[in-house]
Amino acid sequence: MTLFDLVIRSMRKNIKHYYLYFFALIFSVVLYFVFATLQYDSAVVERAGQSMKFSSAFKVAGGLLIFIAGIFIVYANAIFLKRRSREIGLYQLIGLNKGAVARLLIIENSLLSAGALLIGIGIGILVSRVFLLLLMKLVDYEGFIALSFSTAAILQTVVVFVAIILLTTIQMIYTVYRNTLLSLFNADKKGENPKKPKTFVSAVLALLGIGLIVFGYWLSANMMNTMLFFNMIAVLVSTILGTYLIFRVTISWMFYQIRSRKQGHLGLKNSLSIGSLMHRMKGNANSLTIITVLSAMTLAMLAGSYSLYYSTEKESRYSMPHDFMFESDEGLAAQFGEELIENGIDFTSEKIELLSVWGTFEKDVFPEWDGPMDGTYGFSIVSDQQLEKAGFQVEAPKKGKAVMHDMNYAMSMNNMKLPFDVNVTSGESDRQFRITELGSGNVVNFVSVGFQLVVNDVYFEELKEQLPLESEGNMVLDVYAVNLLDRDQLEAASKIFSQSKYIDNAEGENYAYSTDYYSMYENGILTNGLLIFIAGFLGLVFLISTGSILYFKQMTEAEQEKQNYATLRQLGFTVKDIMRGIIRKQMFVFGLPLAIGLLHSVFAIKAASFLFMSDITIPTTIAMGLYALIYIVFAFLTVGYYRKTVKAAL
Amino acid sequence: MNKTHTSQQTVLHAQNVRKSFGTRGNVQEVLKGIDLRVNEGEFVGIMGPSGAGKTTLLNVLATIDRATDGAILIGGDDISKMKDAGLSAFRRDKLGFIFQDYNLLDTLTAKENILLPISLGKVKKKEAEARFNDIATILGITDIAHKYPHEISGGQKQRTSAARALINEPSMVFADEPTGALDSKSASSLLGTMADVNKKRGVTIMMVTHDAVASSYASRVVFLKDGQIYSELYRGDKTRQAFFQDILKVQGVLGGDSVDTI
Repeated sequence: MTLFDLVIRSMRKNIKHYYLYFFALIFSVVLYFVFATLQYDSAVVERAGQSMKFSSAFKVAGGLLIFIAGIFIVYANAIFLKRRSREIGLYQLIGLNKGAVARLLIIENSLLSAGALLIGIGIGILVSRVFLLLLMKLVDYEGFIALSFSTAAILQTVVVFVAIILLTTIQMIYTVYRNTLLSLFNADKKGENPKKPKTFVSAVLALLGIGLIVFGYWLSANMMNTMLFFNMIAVLVSTILGTYLIFRVTISWMFYQIRSRKQGHLGLKNSLSIGSLMHRMKGNANSLTIITVLSAMTLAMLAGSYSLYYSTEKESRYSMPHDFMFESDEGLAAQFGEELIENGIDFTSEKIELLSVWGTFEKDVFPEWDGPMDGTYGFSIVSDQQLEKAGFQVEAPKKGKAVMHDMNYAMSMNNMKLPFDVNVTSGESDRQFRITELGSGNVVNFVSVGFQLVVNDVYFEELKEQLPLESEGNMVLDVYAVNLLDRDQLEAASKIFSQSKYIDNAEGENYAYSTDYYSMYENGILTNGLLIFIAGFLGLVFLISTGSILYFKQMTEAEQEKQNYATLRQLGFTVKDIMRGIIRKQMFVFGLPLAIGLLHSVFAIKAASFLFMSDITIPTTIAMGLYALIYIVFAFLTVGYYRKTVKAAL
Repeated sequence: MNKTHTSQQTVLHAQNVRKSFGTRGNVQEVLKGIDLRVNEGEFVGIMGPSGAGKTTLLNVLATIDRATDGAILIGGDDISKMKDAGLSAFRRDKLGFIFQDYNLLDTLTAKENILLPISLGKVKKKEAEARFNDIATILGITDIAHKYPHEISGGQKQRTSAARALINEPSMVFADEPTGALDSKSASSLLGTMADVNKKRGVTIMMVTHDAVASSYASRVVFLKDGQIYSELYRGDKTRQAFFQDILKVQGVLGGDSVDTI
């Protein structure tokens, strides 16, 4: 019998062991191939032509994908090799030398990998269309989508996976050459036996783990100061270290306390959960930590990018409360209006007067990290009634008081204490405004108008009379707000607006802020749609990889404990009794990383919520819920596998 | 002698038990109609050459496997008519098991292993603790109560296994080659303890073994051949040594794996 025959025979006999590794390979190939295909797809390239972000985002994500796929495959291969170590030992026992065994494994690996590549690319061709449609839907592309068969994508996939497969081959050779026969035969019996922890040291470390995480959370909520970058690093280090300590020490310590308190009366459920978990805590600490941290990162990434996508419309509205706006030029606004009428678009056009003045803030109103804000700033005083006519609802307080708006300072404004005073220092007479409320976003489209103070109309007229508006750079600025009655006509109107005569100045250059709401929204959807797609894609890969790793590990554990289940059933425990204990164990194995990961990501999102002006509770909850749901599927698969094992045990 | 036994209550009564393996066309009958009655307080050894059906008989009687035909009554309950869940509960409450390879859960300490059969909460903690102390003292394993299986010797493991079999105060204990993996000193020590427990606590024991020394500790030895009962020996008032010689004689006639070694 040649070596090749032996390979074929062993592969046929061991399908059960192989399919796990095979699945991991195929899965990685499919996802990478889909990604590569999208990168080369003509529709994507066309849409991407509009922004550089597209291609660079794809490149970064592609790199990350290779990284994850590499780790996942190497990990699956490690589990696969461990399960087969007895077989590898047996070959050597019956006289094959290490070189021959290594050759045997390499032939096997090549056959498997070639098969996985073929199948993976095949499935990839089938599913890439689905992903393409999804991406194009997310970025609002309405052209015809035809999927072209991309040889470049195939080539790229093959190159990447040949490299990864070389890595696993090295891993296999290493296993054969570095292990003694004895260790090969005992590999599946390994498992530590819980020792009595050094009570004092363990207790301290156990509490330190919890302390570090709490400190990280606290710091994440209080890191907005001049040391922001340093704080971010500190948060990361302390939560990751804390997570590791939780899995490595705190849990074992707690289990040990529970167990010793029971004095041997552990009960069946605890025997199958705590007993089994303590038996392998050391080996599992690393992977559980990695899975928790990865889950937290993925969750934060997903929730963050989904929130961006979800709130694109709202955030665009905050900076562009009116659909279109013209500065000073009444004629241009009228011309635009005529053109809209010609196209059958209904709209309102209102003049809004801005009293543009200079002023100062009360001392220390702004948070420390904003730097000293004690200089002179531009303010625009606006009448609430004029705004209301233009379709912007705002309730202005009584005389002497004002509502302040400015989306550029949204972050700082979240941290300001009300009420405070603004001094308009125009001419001889200072005038104080008491700011009683902070509004969200802008009240007019232009960002160059400074802090907007909304006052009630009567007061506005009084100010207009009294303020020296013709001197010291103060003035009355008229803007014209054009708002459509029918949202569906925004796109057509935006097209009309994009003509050079509306947005360019005399020299043919774009005005600094001459854009409209819809263009801004479209741009946001493109960027955020791409972001959510890539985040979702990577998130899915992360999720399935971590889920699979947990599943594979539990599969191995189930097989190692099969004899225990047989014994328990002989002792008279039903499958149901045993499964109760196993479910308790799985709630820990799957539940704890998920729970801690969720908690981490909640705090991460909270810390990052200053990026948003809108409330992101809903998108965050949806993203996290979806993640948890898919994750739980793996827990169910695992429990199913255990049930099968327990049932077959007797 | 027979009289003293019949006056006692019957714990196990097997009637015409048959067991076949394999699918249609390739059926192999391993047990060909076994009739067996075990009385309370008996220590029955089951012997026979390899393939005689010893372990199959034990599994069928111990409710781990189902008989193809026949009735088995344990303590008055007909186990051949019970459902799986009923059988599990029955095993947990009424039977005890000792296996050749101990079958201790390596993730649990000796004490945790021993307390397993009464771990579903029907026995109060105080009572469980008392039973544990009682049994651990008899089996001499109080010192190793908090050790894990990998930290103790084979003999200690088998004593732990025996303690686990006794903790639920079973009507009957089944032992499958309990000394198979032990050296002769540990084996005879264990068997001595089993005989002791049998006598002092009146625990009924059925033990499958191929070892004539092991079965000489029993009060009765049943010989199987080709799935049928070949003969029976009662120890009566004989010394263990004399009983051992009797067993050897039958075994010689029967022919079997251990004959040549003696």
